[in-house]
Amino acid sequence: MRFKKLFFLTLLISVNLLANSQEPIKLTGEELFGTMRARHIGPAVMSGRITDIAGHPTNSKIIYAGTAGGGVWKSVDGGVMFNSIFDNYNQSIGTIAIDPSDPDHIIWVGTGETWTRNSISPGDGLYKSIDGGTNWQKMGFEKSDHISSIQINPKNSNEVFVGILGSLWGDSEERGVYKTSDGGKTWVKLLAGNLSTGCSELIMDQNNPDILYAAFWEFRRTAWSFSSGGTNSALYKSIDGGKNWNKIHNGFPEGILGRFAVAIAPTNSNIVFAVVESMDRSKCGLYRSENAGETWIHLNKDFELAVRPFYFSRIAIDPRNENVIVKCGLFGSISRDGGNTFKSLGPQHADIHDIWFDINNSDIIYSGTDGGVYRSFDGGSIFDMVDNIPVSQFYHVSLDNEEPYNVYGGLQDNGSWYGPSESPGGIEAGDWEPVGGGDGFRVFRHTTKKIVYSTFQTAGSIWRFDIEKNILKTIQPFPDQNIKFRYNWNAAIQLSPNKPDRIYVGNQFLYRSDDMGDNWERISPDLTTNNPAKQNQANSGGLSIDNSGAENNNTIFSVAESPLDENLIWVGTDDGNVQITQNGGKNWTNVVLNIPELPANTWCYHIEASNFNKGTAYAVFDGHFANDDKAYVYKTTDFGKTWKSIATSDITNFARHIKEDYINENLLYLGTETGLYITIDGGKNWVKFTNNMPSAPVHYIALHPKKHDLVLATHGRGIIIIDDISPLRQISQEILQKEVHFFDSKPTVIWEESSFGGNSTFTQFVGKNPNRDAKIIYYLKKRHTFGKMTIEIFNSKGELVGNVDAGKKKGINIVNWEYTLKAPIVAIGKSYSAGAFSSFKLPADNYKIVMTKGKETYESNIELIYDPNSSVSNDDRKLKYDLSKKLYDFTQELAYLVYEIDLTTSYIDSIDFKNSKVAKVAKLLKQDLTDLKNTLVITTGDNYVQTAEDQLREKISNLYSVVVSNIDKPSNTHYENYQILRTSFDLAKTKLNSIKSKDFIKIEKFAKQNALQSIVIKSYDDFLKR
Amino acid sequence: MRRITLFLAFSLICLFVSAQNADEIIEKYFENTGGKDAWNSITSLRLNASVNTPVGEIPLVIYNAKNGSTYVKITLQGNDITQIAFDGETAWGMNMMSMQAEKQNSENTENLKRASKEFPDPFLNYKEKGFAIELLGNEIIEGTECFKIKLTKTPNLVDGVETENILYYYFDKENVVPILVEAEIKSGPAKGNISQTFFSNYQEVNGIYFSFSFTQGLKGQQGQTITIKTIEINPEIDKSTLAFPES
Repeated sequence: MRFKKLFFLTLLISVNLLANSQEPIKLTGEELFGTMRARHIGPAVMSGRITDIAGHPTNSKIIYAGTAGGGVWKSVDGGVMFNSIFDNYNQSIGTIAIDPSDPDHIIWVGTGETWTRNSISPGDGLYKSIDGGTNWQKMGFEKSDHISSIQINPKNSNEVFVGILGSLWGDSEERGVYKTSDGGKTWVKLLAGNLSTGCSELIMDQNNPDILYAAFWEFRRTAWSFSSGGTNSALYKSIDGGKNWNKIHNGFPEGILGRFAVAIAPTNSNIVFAVVESMDRSKCGLYRSENAGETWIHLNKDFELAVRPFYFSRIAIDPRNENVIVKCGLFGSISRDGGNTFKSLGPQHADIHDIWFDINNSDIIYSGTDGGVYRSFDGGSIFDMVDNIPVSQFYHVSLDNEEPYNVYGGLQDNGSWYGPSESPGGIEAGDWEPVGGGDGFRVFRHTTKKIVYSTFQTAGSIWRFDIEKNILKTIQPFPDQNIKFRYNWNAAIQLSPNKPDRIYVGNQFLYRSDDMGDNWERISPDLTTNNPAKQNQANSGGLSIDNSGAENNNTIFSVAESPLDENLIWVGTDDGNVQITQNGGKNWTNVVLNIPELPANTWCYHIEASNFNKGTAYAVFDGHFANDDKAYVYKTTDFGKTWKSIATSDITNFARHIKEDYINENLLYLGTETGLYITIDGGKNWVKFTNNMPSAPVHYIALHPKKHDLVLATHGRGIIIIDDISPLRQISQEILQKEVHFFDSKPTVIWEESSFGGNSTFTQFVGKNPNRDAKIIYYLKKRHTFGKMTIEIFNSKGELVGNVDAGKKKGINIVNWEYTLKAPIVAIGKSYSAGAFSSFKLPADNYKIVMTKGKETYESNIELIYDPNSSVSNDDRKLKYDLSKKLYDFTQELAYLVYEIDLTTSYIDSIDFKNSKVAKVAKLLKQDLTDLKNTLVITTGDNYVQTAEDQLREKISNLYSVVVSNIDKPSNTHYENYQILRTSFDLAKTKLNSIKSKDFIKIEKFAKQNALQSIVIKSYDDFLKR
Repeated sequence: MRRITLFLAFSLICLFVSAQNADEIIEKYFENTGGKDAWNSITSLRLNASVNTPVGEIPLVIYNAKNGSTYVKITLQGNDITQIAFDGETAWGMNMMSMQAEKQNSENTENLKRASKEFPDPFLNYKEKGFAIELLGNEIIEGTECFKIKLTKTPNLVDGVETENILYYYFDKENVVPILVEAEIKSGPAKGNISQTFFSNYQEVNGIYFSFSFTQGLKGQQGQTITIKTIEINPEIDKSTLAFPES
C-alpha cells in the first residue's frame, strides 16, 4: 500500500506513544459495544401515540408519521408498511413538513410533541433532510422544546416559517414565529410570543404564501397542575409574508382564550375554520370564516369540538371538498355540511391527534391516534390498524423466571401486558396477553406463583390477576381514616425481594401487605411534603378543567426494599423527599437534605437499593418538571447520610432510572430521556449505548438474573432487550489495552427444542428472538480492515469442525456459532436432496477457538453442554449421534460411489473407439453404469412437483434428516431402515466393482494400447477434501 | 520534547484529515489500493467465494466485466445454479424449482445495462461516468472514524419510474478505503429499509487491494458474510456461461 511516508510515519509515532503512555482508554459507545446489539420486541399490537401525519403532495404512496416517543416513520407503499427513519435523533415529534417544490427530497421535522400531556418528551430542535429522510441535519432551535408547525413556501424551498410552542414547564424565550430565507441557515423572529405564550399552530395559504395564520397559546405545566389559556392567547394573520400581523378575533368570544386549532380549506382560501378554547364555555368549539378570517361565525360546541384542547386542537379539511371537516378528539368526528353538524368517526383507538386525506381519493383517510396509525377506505366509517409500528410507550418493565422469561409492563393509554422474551417464529402480536386496562403502569409477576399485579391510573384499581385460573381481584387499600389518599398517576407498587407474598403500595403513606394484597398495614406517616398548594387538581387545567389524575402530586413514587434486609426500605416522593426506614417502617428519616446540589423538591423518580451493601443505594431525580434537564444521579454508601453525584457531562439529558448490575457493582445502567447510558467504572464515565438503540426515553430497566439480559421499558419504542450483558462485567482498562481479548463465556446449552414458527402475516411487526447459537465473544482494540481474519473451531480431539465469519468491529464482538457440522458431500443428481441440508448439531464438548488475524493467532475455548433439565438422557444422545454420524458418512460414501460412476462414464465418453470391437463393450458398459446410477440418485425431473421417484440418495437423506432433527434417540425403524439402505448400497458397490473388474478392464486395455491417458480417480480421503 | 512530538504527530494527522475534500479522498483511495493505472487495467474480475448459510457453506462465483457482463453462480450439492447472468443484452437467472433459465424482467435488464459503466469501481473516472460525489462529513463506523461520501449514480428504473440511485460510502480515515456502503432499498417488500454492506479483509492481488470479506444485510440486523477465497484479474471465461440458454 502506498501511504504517503509522512502520514505513515506520524501515525506510527503516535501509535507508539499512545502504547507507551498506557493512559486509560476512554471509549465512546460506538467504540466499546461493538456488535452488542439491541433487540426490539415491540409490541406493535397496541402501537403508540401518533402526533402528526404528513403525506407527499403528488405521490400518494408516501406517508410520514411522527410519534410521541418513537421518532418518524415513513411508508412508501400507501401506508401498508412503515419504517423508522429518525432513530439517531430526538424521538419526540411535533410536526413533519414536506417541501411542495421538492417533495421527494426535502423533509423538515420539528421535534417535541405539542399534545401537551404531562408525560410528553421535549424535543431538541428542527431537522431537515434533503434526501427523503435518509440523512438529517439539525437546523437550529435546540432550546425550543416543542415545535408546533413548519410551513414552506410552495414556490420557494428556501423560504420556511416555523412556529415554536416552546417549553412546557417554564419560561422560554424561544417561543414565536420564525422565518428563514436561505433554507434554514439563518432565522429571523417575525412574531414573538412571551415567556409563557407560544405558537401552537402556524398555517400558510397554499394559494398565496404571503398569507399566514398564527395561533398563540398561553399555557404552563407544573408537576402538580396545568394551566391552559391567558390574555395573550390569540389568533393572528399576516398578508405580507409575516412582516405584519393582525389579531383576527371578530366573532370570537371576549375574555380569556386558550388553545386554537385553525385550518384553511384547500379548495377555497376564504374558508377558514378555527376551534377556540374560551372562558365562556358556551362559546367554545368550532368557528367558520368565509372571508379569510375577517369575521367568524360560531357553528358548534359539541363535546368532540371542545374536548381537551391541549390534546386535540387539530382540524383537517378534505382537499377536494370544503364542507368535509374532521375534528380530532377523543373519538374524532366528521362533518359533511361545512361544520354545522358532526358525527363520530368509525371505531378505532381513542384519542385522535391528526388526520390525513389521501391526495387522490377522499374516502381514504389516515388517522393518528394514541394507539397507532389507522386507515379508512370508506370515508371514516371503519378503520383498519397499521400493525407494524412498534412505538408503544412503556412506563415500567419487570421480568419473571419462566423459561423463556416473560416481560411485563404498562403503557400510556394502552393497558398492561406481558409477553415472552422469545417465541417460535419471533414474538408476535398474539404472544402478548393483556393484564390490565386503562393506562397501564407498573406490572409485576409474583416470584413463585402465577399471579400478576397491575395498576390502573392513580391506583383507581390495583389488580391481582391469577393468569392460570383467570381470576381477578381488586386489592388496593382503602382509607382507614377520613382522609383522601393521594396516588400518583403512575402509582407506586413494589414487590419485596425477600418475601414472595409481600407487596407495597404507596400513596402519601406506605402500605405493606404480606398476603398478596388481601390485608394491608400502613407502615409510615405521610412521607411527602404534604403541601396543600400542590393538591388542588380539581381546579387544574385552566380554561378547560382537566382533573384526570395525571397531575396528582405529593405522592410516594418509588419504593425499594433492600434485597439484603427486609426491614430496610427506601421511599422517594414526587415532591422531592427521600425517606429511609431501617426497622420495617417504625421510624423514618428524610435524608434528601444530605444530597448535594439537588434543587429542592426535585421528583425522586427511582431509588435502587444495592445488592452488595446494605448502606448503599442509588437515587435518580427528574428535574424536567421544573424545566431543568440536568441528570441528577446519586449514590450513598452510609444509609443516606452522605451522597455523591455520579452523573457526568457524558449524560446529555435528564434521567429517570438506574439499575445496578447483579455481579459487578461498578457496572450501572442509566435510563435517560434520550436513551441508555452505561458505566463500567461506577459512574466516573458514562457511555451511551447506540447499537440499534434509538434515542428514545428509557423509563425503566430490568436485568434478568439468569439470562443476564438488560430489558428496557422505552416510552416510545416498546421493549428493547440487550441480550447477555455479561461481557461488560469483565471489561477493564487492562483488557482495553490488549489487541485481542477473548471474554469468558458461560457454557452454551445445546438447543433441543423444535417449532413450526409463527403465524403472523408479512405486514405485522414480529419482535426478534434472541440468537440461540453459541457466542464467541472478544474485544478488538481496533477494527480489522486489512489482511485476512478467520475463526476456526476444533473439537477436543483437535479435529476441525467448523468456521465462523469473524466480527471485525472495534470493541466487543459477539460472533454466533451454530455448532453444526458442515453439510455432508452429497451425490450429484438432477435435483436436490433436501434432507441432506438438515443441521447436524455437534455434541457437548469443550471446543477450541482459533482466531487468525493477519500473522497472529489467538486462542480461546467455548463449551457446549446439554440441558441438565432435559428429558433426554446422555445415553440416548450418544445413540442419536452415532447413527447420525453413520448416516452422514453414508451420504458421503454414496457421493463417492456416484462420483466414481460419473468419472468412469465420462472417461469412456472421452475415448474415440472408432470401429473397434471395444466400442460395443463401451456402449453396454455405459448403459450398465447409467442403470446403476439411476438406482442411486434422481437423474430426471425438477425440484418441485415434477420430481422423480426417490432413489438411494434420497432415502438416505430422508433418514438422515429425521435422525439428526429428532431430539430423542433413534427408534428401531430407523436402525432397520438404515440396514436396508446399507444393503442396497453394498449391492451397488459390488455391482460397480464387478463392472470395473470385468468389462472396464477392456476399456483400460484399449486406452493403454492407444497410448491414451488412464483414468484417475481420487481416493476417498481426497474426495472428501472440499 | 516527547509531548511536542506527539502533538505535532496528531496535528499532522488532523491537518491531513481536515483538509480532505471528496476528490482528494477518492484519489487517496485509489493511491492506497494500487493506483489508478492498475485499476484502469482491469477488464474483468472473477471472485471465488463462499457464504456460510444455515444449510452449510455454499461456494459462489461472481464475475464482472467492463462491458457490463456479469454472472453470479452458486453450487448446491454439486449442481451449478446461475442466480444472475448478463451478457450485455439479456439478463437471466435459473428458477430454483424448475432449474431452468428464465429471463429477468426488462426493468432489471435495463438497470444492469445502466450499471455496466460502474466496473471495476464506481469511483474510478466517476465524472466520465456521469456520477457525482459529495463529502457529507465524518462519522464513526464500527468504532472507526470515517469520511462519509455520497455517490450519485445513473438513475435506476423502479416500477417504471426513473428513480435516484444514491449510495453512501464510509471511508476509514486511517486507510482511506471504504468499510461500509449504505443505500435505501427502492423496490420489493423491503423497500424503505436501508441496506448495508461492510468491507474488511483487504488483501493484495497483483498489486491491487480488494476487500475479501463483504457482510451484507439490512441496517439494524445481522448481515450475511461473503468470504472471498481468490480473485482473478482479467480471467479467461467461457462466454457461453453469460448467454441465455435458449434451449
